[in-house]
Amino acid sequence: MFEQLAKTLDHLGEKQVAVVDIWGLQIRFDWTMLIMSWIAMGILFLLAFFLRRALCQPIEEKPNRAQAALDALIAAVEGQLTSNFSSPGLGARMFPFIGTLFLYVLVCNWLSVLPGLESPTANPNVTIGLALLVFILAHAYAIRIKGVRRYLRGFLDPYPFMLPLNLIGEIAKPISHSFRLFGNVFAGTVLVTVVTAVLVPIAVPAALNAVFGLFSGFIQAFVFSVLAVTYINMAVEG
Amino acid sequence: MLQDAQTAVGGISGADLIQAAKFLGAGLCMGIGAIGPAIGEGYAVGHALDGIARQPELQGSLFRTMLIGCAVTETTGIYSLLIAIVLIFVA
Repeated sequence: MFEQLAKTLDHLGEKQVAVVDIWGLQIRFDWTMLIMSWIAMGILFLLAFFLRRALCQPIEEKPNRAQAALDALIAAVEGQLTSNFSSPGLGARMFPFIGTLFLYVLVCNWLSVLPGLESPTANPNVTIGLALLVFILAHAYAIRIKGVRRYLRGFLDPYPFMLPLNLIGEIAKPISHSFRLFGNVFAGTVLVTVVTAVLVPIAVPAALNAVFGLFSGFIQAFVFSVLAVTYINMAVEG
Repeated sequence: MLQDAQTAVGGISGADLIQAAKFLGAGLCMGIGAIGPAIGEGYAVGHALDGIARQPELQGSLFRTMLIGCAVTETTGIYSLLIAIVLIFVA
């Protein structure tokens, strides 16, 4: 039993890595995660493509089902996520980014429910990339809105000797942001894999997938985008 | 006595000991590191439930605030996960 478990877990950590050599600079790609990310993007693209056709109707007609569903989705993202920005103007400007982030992470988390597919977010590189995106965006917006002088002075708040602590706090944000998503998704994947491979292969994995794939995946996607909203807001306001 | 012990551990090299210490450290790190976030999240969710029971009309905003609080509380647990991963795979 334990040999089987060890083999399963070995397979889980197995990666098909492609190394691309560009002028002596070695770039490594993990094929599994790359293809799974493309699948997630493809699902979102196809959804957008087909739902867009449903929206091509004159505005005075009564909304069809796809339009009603999209209205509900947009109202949910607006009410739950971007309403946390302290200024409505910033919320309106950030709405496309936050909505895209939420949908992408949600589809990525839900991918592992389908047999044969894996969540790209169970790889730390993907989540670190997403967290760096939020980090860079937050600081670029802070510089753009507050100006360089006020932005740099913000690191000396409340006293100049707090500078190292402020710097560590800023660097710790993307780390905890990315590893929260990665840790939760990866732990769910490992649990489902172990139970399926070793303990009960029937019925129980379906319930576990519902809890760790669908429910926890939704909560984690929501938490990831709420934290992105909070970080951007803190950087712009603070 | 010492001779016996030395023959018993004769097959164990220093690298094995380091490997064992890594896994032990990672397990202890996750186990002890999970206590704090668990207690903190329990408090947060319990008080949020109190608030929802008192004012059910505020459920949406209370739930959202609770999720953010839980996510922030989880951070120390995430750090111990980071240390455990570093211990197992990198160190």
